[in-house]
Amino acid sequence: MHADPTRELTGAGVRRATRQATAARADTSWLTLGGDVLSALTVAGVVVAVFGGAFSALRERIAARPEAAATHLPGELTALVAALLVAAGVVALLSRLGPVSATPATAAWWLPLPADRRGLLRGELVRTCWVAVVAAVVVALPVVLAAPTAPTVPEVAVGVLAAVLLALAAVGVLVVLQARELTGWVAPAAGAVATVAVVVPAVVGTIGTWGWVPSGPGVPLPVLAGVLVALAAAALLAADRVTGRLRAGALRDRGAAVFVASASALSLDTRELGRAMGTPVHPPRRTRTWAWVRQPWQAVVAGDLAVLARSPWRWGQLAIGTALPVLAARTDGLGGVPALVAVAVVVGWSIAAVALGEPSRSAHAAPAADRALPLGAKDVVRARAIVPTAALVLVCAVSAGVAGLGWQWAALGAATAPAWAGAVVRGGYRPELDWSGPVLSSPMGAVPTSVTVTLVRGLDLGILGTVPLIIGLLLGDVPDLLLAVALGWSLLLALISVETAQKKA
Amino acid sequence: MAKTGLLEVHDLSVGYGGEPVCAPVTVAVAAGTALGVIGPNGAGKSTVLQTLVGLLPPIGGTVEFDGRPVDEREAAFRRDVVTVLDDDAFFPSLTGAEHLLLTARGHGVADADEVVAEEVEEFGLTERAHALPSALSSGQRRRLALAAAFVRPARLMVLDEPERRLDAQMRRQLAARIAADVADGLTVVFASHDAEFLSTVARRVLVVDDDACTVVSPKAAVAMLHE
Repeated sequence: MHADPTRELTGAGVRRATRQATAARADTSWLTLGGDVLSALTVAGVVVAVFGGAFSALRERIAARPEAAATHLPGELTALVAALLVAAGVVALLSRLGPVSATPATAAWWLPLPADRRGLLRGELVRTCWVAVVAAVVVALPVVLAAPTAPTVPEVAVGVLAAVLLALAAVGVLVVLQARELTGWVAPAAGAVATVAVVVPAVVGTIGTWGWVPSGPGVPLPVLAGVLVALAAAALLAADRVTGRLRAGALRDRGAAVFVASASALSLDTRELGRAMGTPVHPPRRTRTWAWVRQPWQAVVAGDLAVLARSPWRWGQLAIGTALPVLAARTDGLGGVPALVAVAVVVGWSIAAVALGEPSRSAHAAPAADRALPLGAKDVVRARAIVPTAALVLVCAVSAGVAGLGWQWAALGAATAPAWAGAVVRGGYRPELDWSGPVLSSPMGAVPTSVTVTLVRGLDLGILGTVPLIIGLLLGDVPDLLLAVALGWSLLLALISVETAQKKA
Repeated sequence: MAKTGLLEVHDLSVGYGGEPVCAPVTVAVAAGTALGVIGPNGAGKSTVLQTLVGLLPPIGGTVEFDGRPVDEREAAFRRDVVTVLDDDAFFPSLTGAEHLLLTARGHGVADADEVVAEEVEEFGLTERAHALPSALSSGQRRRLALAAAFVRPARLMVLDEPERRLDAQMRRQLAARIAADVADGLTVVFASHDAEFLSTVARRVLVVDDDACTVVSPKAAVAMLHE
């Protein structure tokens, strides 16, 4: 067979031909697309209005309260920390997923073609940019709206635009790093930045007073906008130039992760999503021998300890989970509103619980590993609660003790830990999502109740276990009776969690 | 009727959603013997094995291990029965050697280090023992799963196509090893498509089929595989 190289399609030509073939079979008209865009914009507008109103009401509530004596951190700083947290999350996400990747179909049909790879992948780069833009808007909006002083409409627009431009610049830089196969350090670095950003202000705010108040950049807005536009444009141009150097194997691997992550996100399977997004595990420097293991349950504990010890990412999550309630309690305004501190407590301890749930999630994915030991199914689950209990006693005691500035608060935190430890195994061993259950009518459409119940399984009992601590926050004190009730309640919930954790056959 | 086998299967119907995938199975496996299971792809061999070890509920009939109904959730069952089925999954953060060590120590094996070292060598994993499972090839992961079955004591070993993904030399070595362990008193039930493996290990062979599940001699079974 003879072929004429001059008649080969270019990368752009292949994309165009595929797009035309797809469009010919699609039943989406420009009118439907316009309607969908209009709906999305309307929903976004409603969300902005609702969030804006809620934050405005909150600001008024905070202003009406007397300043809490123990707060030392300016609200602007905590807003900056929140921005850094979400930015680090987005950067880590982009680096994990590529940012440029090839869908399984692209990897199978396009990459082996003699067409230029740069032209083939330009569509993927554009798609990544759109994802980054949407992510920037979604994460920047609440942060801008939650600023300590009420933002004006132009200020909101500038904040969101800056986030969009920075996100595009980040995509460009990450693609350049991806082409040089240097993205391995990005997610750990983003995690480290997030950890430091939360822990340092929490510590400094507890032992002293934070002197620096973040403010807007001291340059005229047009100059700032110009710099950001130039930065984003330069990064994207550089990215476009290097996409031709991306290796097919790496594109296929990242594409597989994107595929699983997208499917998990669409099917609301957060556990599978976590597996797809998990950071790569590096081989340990030395193999452990576990000479102290004499009993089957000790083997479970030893394995769980090794899984946690080998993931700095999870250590960072534990540190953030511990520091978040402290940060909220130390922040001017936030610290005086018990409900907001309670939210920070639940969010922080949920992060810690998710970090500690990795062994349970792995065991659920690999049930043969659980069956390999001479331990009954329920005893395996009980053994798997030991490490989370020990870690969460530390996390909750330090977190609550430092946030409340007193040993009673530390004791209340420690008393709450068993409920969260139970939540860890309950969440890790939760059954697969069941979409066949009854549905509940809601203003947003039909809600499958069994899916919702399964999704919150684990977190539900953790939050219930935190109720005594929330009561303590509202009372502003920890009576002995509350401490006793908290411990009994937490142990009961832990028992329920462990005994009802479902194992996969 | 007197119970003669370590594993007693009576009129066992297996399948999914109440639909049997093959004819009912009745067989007794005496201690210290090996039962092979053969049948074409999709005949229901894996379903039979999974039901024998309690991973799937039977549609009908009974399975008893050591005189008691099978319940894979019980510690005693897990102590006595080792399975290597189609689910060789591992903890992503633990190396191959660590998986074996934890299994051996969890079963209270004396000299676990030496036992693990011997099995690592036996299964040709010496150079890759300290690698994470994700860094192993498909065949090496299979070897690791099989090695995990031998670093611990067991009375009954259930294997689903143990020869799968193994090279010819490793297949022969594994067959000889299992045959030797059967001679030492181990009871083995295994599914296989490999005539040489089957004739080396099995004393009797269960033929899984839609019409009737019958027990035949290894010679007859090998002839059926060659048909």
